[in-house]
Amino acid sequence: MFAITPNTLSNIMNSLSRYAILLSLVLICLSIFLIIFLENDYYQGISFKIMFIHVPTAWLSLTIFLVMGISSIIGLIFKSPTAFTVARSLSPIGLIMSIIVLVTGSIWGNLTWGAYWVWDARLTSMLILAFIYLGHILLLYSFEHFQKADFAASILAIIGLVNLPIVKFSVDWWTTLHQESSVLRIGGPSMTNDYLITLFVSFLGIFMLTIFWFSNIFYIIVEKRKMERAKLLND
Amino acid sequence: MRIIKLNNQIKKRFIFLLIIFACFSASIFIISYSLKDQIAYFVEPTDLKSMDGLENKYLRVGGLVKANSLKFLDGNWIFEVVDQNQNSVNVVFSKTLPNLVEENKGIIVEGKFIDNIFVAEIVLAKHDENYMPQSAIDKLKEEGKWRGN
Repeated sequence: MFAITPNTLSNIMNSLSRYAILLSLVLICLSIFLIIFLENDYYQGISFKIMFIHVPTAWLSLTIFLVMGISSIIGLIFKSPTAFTVARSLSPIGLIMSIIVLVTGSIWGNLTWGAYWVWDARLTSMLILAFIYLGHILLLYSFEHFQKADFAASILAIIGLVNLPIVKFSVDWWTTLHQESSVLRIGGPSMTNDYLITLFVSFLGIFMLTIFWFSNIFYIIVEKRKMERAKLLND
Repeated sequence: MRIIKLNNQIKKRFIFLLIIFACFSASIFIISYSLKDQIAYFVEPTDLKSMDGLENKYLRVGGLVKANSLKFLDGNWIFEVVDQNQNSVNVVFSKTLPNLVEENKGIIVEGKFIDNIFVAEIVLAKHDENYMPQSAIDKLKEEGKWRGN
């Protein structure tokens, strides 16, 4: 990863992105079709179907932060511009994902628990994650030189990694209003196969959309820097 | 010669990051460990036995709604919250219950004890992590594998 220049990665991602968006459209359409025709939950009724947006975006917002943190570590240790640019282009996607998680979670919570928001460990740590994403973006755009911004934002991303296990395991470590994990848990998934398949289809669809989105942001950043460099040379 | 120098720099940066990460995670661990009781969203009826000064203390109690205990009397909901150890708390609630409150299902009540009866101000339904269509439950019941209510 640290041997690849941003330009090469941008080209690779660009050639992949059209397949990603095609696959994502197909999978999202398929998942909408599956969600509509899926039988309701015996207890929660139709309101549980918001899970098929809530859970994939929650997984992605955690995974994106993990990738961001790891590429920040690589960037800081090996001084790799590619790794820094990966982290830079991932944080807006992560912020949008975590906002979707919080909004869909609030709607689901109001329908089932009877409250939009409570200050339990899972909800609070997820809100903190969204704020770290926001802080990362603000840090990136508050310096004149992007090298300095990358350095500061990477430190924040590495510190923010501490929050990831707290979000994931908060429901096991403390008593919370939020239910425990249904898929990634000891003893196998606690839902029937038709739900599980729908969940994975919708996850893959949103994941492919993320890949497409990421490659676009990455491309824009790389091209912008090229133009700036050309302008400097002309002056 | 150059490679050795580079390796040293990489090592230094790695140790620097490791120290930042270790310090920060240690501090977060210490904070969350000492605030363990505050982070916990609710206590179970069993935990109440070892607590004193319960009268007029604002707290949240969570558990299951005991079977055959949910009643509507004189404009108040009356029910018992029970946990795995069969310890229970009598609850009175005067507002509308959330849709999903049912007997043998999870609940969290927020309020205080007045004369050994828990007067709830907020009631939240707590659902678990099991999702199943009714048809799957019927099938399990036919096979005699269903352990719910």
